[in-house]
Amino acid sequence: MADERPGQILAALGGADNVVEIEGCITRLRCELEDGSVVDEAALKQAGAHGVMKSGAVVQVVVGPEADAIAEDIQDLL
Amino acid sequence: MTGAARVVCSPVGGTVTALADVPDPVFSQAMVGPGIAVEPRDGHGDAVSPIDGTLTTVHAHAFVVAGDDGEAVLVHLGIDTVKQQGEGFTLHVVKGERVRAGQPVVGWDPAAVREAGYAPIVPVIALDAQQEALRAADTGSEVGAGDELFTWTG
Repeated sequence: MADERPGQILAALGGADNVVEIEGCITRLRCELEDGSVVDEAALKQAGAHGVMKSGAVVQVVVGPEADAIAEDIQDLL
Repeated sequence: MTGAARVVCSPVGGTVTALADVPDPVFSQAMVGPGIAVEPRDGHGDAVSPIDGTLTTVHAHAFVVAGDDGEAVLVHLGIDTVKQQGEGFTLHVVKGERVRAGQPVVGWDPAAVREAGYAPIVPVIALDAQQEALRAADTGSEVGAGDELFTWTG
């Protein structure tokens, strides 16, 4: 499953410039963004997210148990 | 995968609680799988492995054990406890280690979690399982660490 998801998820979060911090936590990506309003939830779900929770600039993307690995891959893209 | 039911043990002692009552939508809406939660008893103790298997993910506040036939169980010690950054949690294991059901994995104190402002409830999730595959202990019943919490068929 290598893997287009990290790139797709990053794009749906508004790209590298919009990401302040991203961290994997077992089943979800905890993302602190510059601007939470640009998040494309439909694209996140298309990339395999089970759910998206937004609270202002903090967005949690539920991706399942590979969250830690996906977060590392996204960090490599930043 | 066989049709046999595997037993998933409670990682902590406490009161069996419906997953829907966990104050986190990832768990309460079963986004990563069905399961059940345990409201832990106060006092310092060890959270134990729910099944025999290999620790595929280990954080101070949560871990995943994958069994030999591919099933994986997630144990999360409290809600939003990632923000405690491991404080108050003592890991007894490392990622990749083999564990037996009932083996201590993390030492913690639910009361300390509550004092820090977090809910100490412990969701136990059958990752990617179907809801119908689980037979859980009755909500409201008391379990001890290592007691049967649910069976998982399929």
